Amino acid sequence: MWTRKASFTFTGGIALILIGMMIANLQMMILGISFIAFIVVNSWISGHGDVEVQRTLSADNLYKGDDLYVELLVTNRSNRNTQLLEVYDNIPHEMKLRSGLNQMRLNLRPGESARIRYVLRCPLRGHYSIGPVSLRSRNTFNLGVDEMYVDHHSDIVIFPQIKEVEEAFLRSRTPKMYTGATTLRTPGQGSEFYSLREYVPGDPFKNINWKAFARTGELMVNEKCRDAVTDLYILLDSRDIARIGTVLKNPLEMGTVSAASLAAFFLKRRDSVALAIFDDNLSYLPPDTGDKQYFKILSALAGVSPKGAMPLQAVTNSLSGRFSRGSPVFIISSCEGDGTVPAAVRDLVGRGHEVTVLSPSSIDFERLVSRIPRMSYEVLKLERQNRLTTLAGSGAMVIDWMPDMDLSQALMQVRGY
Amino acid sequence: MLGNVNLNYRRIGLQAAFWLVMLLLLMSILLNFVNLSNTNQLSAYDDDWNDMSAFRQDIKDMGIQTSSLVSSPLLLADIEDPRNTTYILAGVERDTLSLPQFDSDGFITIAAEDGYSPSEIEAIVEFVDAGGTALVLEDYGFAGSIAQAYGVRYTGYQLYDTTYVQELDYNYVWMCVQATPCGMNGSIIDPETISVHERWSGSNGEGAHPCSLMNGQTMPLEDAGLCAQHWKNGEIQYNATYQLLLNNITALELIPGVDGALNEVSIRAVTSNEATVDVNGDGEIWVGNEQTAETPDLWGQFNLSIEACARKSCDPNEGGRIVFMADGSALINAIYDYEGFNDPENPLYGSNDCVTSNEKCIPENDNRKWAKDFIAEALMSTVPGEEGQPAENAMVIFDESRHPQNALFADSYNTIYFLLVYFTGEGLAMLLLFLVLFITFEAVLIKKRDPEPWRHVFSIIYYGFGDANRYTYYAKTDKIRQVFLSKVRNQNGLSREEFHAMPARELVSLINDPVLAKFAIEPTKYSLEQTVAVVKRIKAWGRT
Repeated sequence: MWTRKASFTFTGGIALILIGMMIANLQMMILGISFIAFIVVNSWISGHGDVEVQRTLSADNLYKGDDLYVELLVTNRSNRNTQLLEVYDNIPHEMKLRSGLNQMRLNLRPGESARIRYVLRCPLRGHYSIGPVSLRSRNTFNLGVDEMYVDHHSDIVIFPQIKEVEEAFLRSRTPKMYTGATTLRTPGQGSEFYSLREYVPGDPFKNINWKAFARTGELMVNEKCRDAVTDLYILLDSRDIARIGTVLKNPLEMGTVSAASLAAFFLKRRDSVALAIFDDNLSYLPPDTGDKQYFKILSALAGVSPKGAMPLQAVTNSLSGRFSRGSPVFIISSCEGDGTVPAAVRDLVGRGHEVTVLSPSSIDFERLVSRIPRMSYEVLKLERQNRLTTLAGSGAMVIDWMPDMDLSQALMQVRGY
Repeated sequence: MLGNVNLNYRRIGLQAAFWLVMLLLLMSILLNFVNLSNTNQLSAYDDDWNDMSAFRQDIKDMGIQTSSLVSSPLLLADIEDPRNTTYILAGVERDTLSLPQFDSDGFITIAAEDGYSPSEIEAIVEFVDAGGTALVLEDYGFAGSIAQAYGVRYTGYQLYDTTYVQELDYNYVWMCVQATPCGMNGSIIDPETISVHERWSGSNGEGAHPCSLMNGQTMPLEDAGLCAQHWKNGEIQYNATYQLLLNNITALELIPGVDGALNEVSIRAVTSNEATVDVNGDGEIWVGNEQTAETPDLWGQFNLSIEACARKSCDPNEGGRIVFMADGSALINAIYDYEGFNDPENPLYGSNDCVTSNEKCIPENDNRKWAKDFIAEALMSTVPGEEGQPAENAMVIFDESRHPQNALFADSYNTIYFLLVYFTGEGLAMLLLFLVLFITFEAVLIKKRDPEPWRHVFSIIYYGFGDANRYTYYAKTDKIRQVFLSKVRNQNGLSREEFHAMPARELVSLINDPVLAKFAIEPTKYSLEQTVAVVKRIKAWGRT
C-alpha cells in the first residue's frame, strides 16, 4: 500500500508531466518523470515480514487482577534484511499494559532475533487470546507500507478472584453441617475399607479381594467408605439481569467471586462441590472433589456471561433429584425478575436441604450507574426486603449482599429473616 | 485484528455488477473507434498492395527521415522546423473522437463531423502557414474539413472519365498534371494532348521545380539526390509531364466566395470535358442540361488536384503549401510500384491477376515520379552547394491517426495517445485537466491516510442498566400500597389467601398505625410530600 507521501509524489509526477506537456516545458516533464521513476525504483527496495514468532507466557491460567508476563521472540528467517519492520502483539483490550510495550520497530539481519517483553494486568475474568502478531514493513523512504500478520495465538484463562472465607462465617442452624472431613459410613469412592461384598459384573478387577476369593471360592470385592463429608451445591444466577452495574461491580461478577471462593473453601476441606450455572440454559458440574474439580469450576466460572432468563424453579426441578439428601445448597442470585424463587427455595427446603441464598443487591448495583429517584429507590428496596423476607420465611438463610461489602463480611450476616 | 476479514458478499456483488456495467460501457465506446477487422489500408507502415510502404521506402532511400503521427495532428504544433517537414495524409478512414472544445468564438463546441476537430485543422493550417508542406490524398473519407479551411471541397461522389484504363476498368482514371485536360487515343493517352506541369515546368515564370533548375547538369547518379528520378544517361533530364493513375476518384471544387487560409489557390489537374459524376450513387449516369430528378448526375470538367500556396511562386521559403488530390489511393503500392506489383517472377505485393494470368496489369504511370518530385521540391536543401540534397532536418510525417490498426491494443494505444494530446493541447480539455488534477490532489489530501500507529487501548468501560422506565411506576401510590401490604403480610407470616380473606378491621389492627392503616385501606390521592412521608413511615414500620 502506498503511503500518503507516495501518493503525493505520484500525483505530483503525473501532474508535472501533463502540465509540462501543456506548456511544452521539457524540464517540468523530466521532473515529473523523475518523481514517477523514484517511486518505481523505490518499490523494488521493499522490506518483508518473513519472520518467525514465538510467544512465552508466565502462566496459562491466572486469577483476576494478577499480572501476566509475556515475552515475544521474533526471528528473521529470510536471507535478507527486514528493513524497517514494526511488530505489534495484539492483546485484548480488557487487559492493561502494566509495563513494557507490546510493539517494537526492528531491522533484523538474516537469522537475527529480537525479544519484546511486557507485563499485562488482567482485571476481568474470562477466556482470552493474545495474538495474532501484526507486522508492518516500510520501504526505505516510507513510500510503501505492507501489513501482514503471523497467526500465532496464546490462549489464557482468567479465573475469578478467590476471597478468603473463614469457617466461622459459615455456621448454620444445623450444628453438624460443615464440620470438616469426617468419614461417612456409607459405601462410595474413598480410601478406607468399608466391607466385602459379592462381585457383580461391572465391578473393576482391581477391587477384587483375591484372598477372600481363595478362602471362599467366590469372587468378592472390597468396598470403600466415602471420603467426603458433604456434597455442596452452588447454583449461580447468570441471567441477563445479572449484568446490572459496572463492568467490575455487578451481581454476576460478585456471584462468580463468591461461587469460586465457596468452592475453594469446601474443596479445601475435601468436600464435594457441584456447580450449576443457569442463564438461557443450564450447565451443571456434578459434585466432585479435588484439584481437578476446582479447576473445572474456575474454568466454568471464567466463561460465564450474562444472558437468558431461565427461572430458578426450572433449575431446581431439573437438579433436585440429583442432590444428595440433606446437602447444603447455595443459591447465588439477585432474585430479581424471577417469581419462581420462593417456590424453588421452598421446594428445596422441603426436601431437607440447607438452603442459603446469597443475594447481591441489584438495585444498589443499578444505583452505581443510574440515577434512581430517591422514593423509587426506597420502594424498590422495600420490595426487595419483602422478597428476601419471603425466602427467609420459606426456611432459607438469606444474605443481602451490598456492592461495597466484602464476601466474608456478607457471609457474617447469614440469618433467617 | 488483521485476520478478521468479514466478507460482505452483497457489497462485493454490487461492486462487481457496477464494474461490469462500466466495462461494458467502456467497451461499447472503444469499439466505435477500434476496427478489429483487418481492413486497414493506405498505411505507410504496412506493405499490402493497398498500402504505401514503397513510397515510404523511397523517401527513406532519399535520405529523408520518416515518422508517423498516430495520435492527432495537434502535435504538428510541436514541429521545430516546419519548413523542412512534409505532412502526408492519405485516406482518412475514420472520424475523430468528438470531444468538447473551445471554438474560434470562445464558445464550447463538440466537433462532430469530418474527421478532424477544429483544433486539429487549426494545427494543420498553422503548420502550413509556418512553411510546412502538406499533401492530402482523399476521396470519400473524412478530410473535407481540412479542404474547407482552404476553400476547397471534396464532392464525395464517384467520378467517371473517358480517360480511363481500358485494360482495367472505368475506376482507373488517368490524371494529367497540367493546365489542360488530356485525352485518349484508343487505349492510350493521346500524346498530342499531353502537356507539362504548369508551375514546375516554369512556364508561368516562377515556381519552377528545383530539379528543373538542375536540368542538363552532368553528374553521377549518387549525386543526383532528390532528382535521381530524372537522372538519365549521366545527366539530369527533367521532364515536367505527369500522367498519374488514379483509382475510384471523386472531384474537387473551389468553394465560391470562400477565402481559404492561403491566398494562391491553383488547379493543377482536371478531368476531360466528358467526365461525369454519379451524384445519387446508383452506379448509373443520367445527365442532362439541367440537374433534375430524372437526370440527377453531373457532367463536364472537374478538378482533380488543387494546390494552395502562400505565394504565387509556391516557394517553400516564402510560406507553406498544401496539395489536394481527389484520390486517396494515388500512392498505393499497386500503382506507385507497378513494376513490383506486376512482376510475375517476384510479386512484391502478393498474387494478383497480372501475376497469375497476365491480365489487369497496372500500366506504366508517373505516380512515383510525381510523388518524388513533390517531396524533392518540399525538402530539397536551399543551402548553396547542396543542390539536389535533402535539407538537414528534412522529415516526412505520415498521418496514421485515422487509420485503423490491426491490433486491438495498437488502436487502444492510439486512442489513449489521442486523448493525451487532446488534454494537453486543447484549451477546454486543459482546463478540464487542471480541474481533474486539482480534484485529484484534494482527494489524495483528504482521503489518503497513512496507516494509524499501533497502540494498545485498555478499555473495559461497560455498564449494564436496569429498566429506568420502572422508576416512575415505583413512585405511584398503588405500587407503594402493594409493597406495603406485602410487607404486612410477610411480617405476620400470612399466606396470600389468608391475607386476602382477612377483614379490614383486623388488618388495621395488624398495621397498628393510623396513617399507614388509612393509606392501606382508603384509596385517596396523596401529594408528593405525603407520599414521601408515607414511604418513610413504611420503612420504619415493623422494626420495633
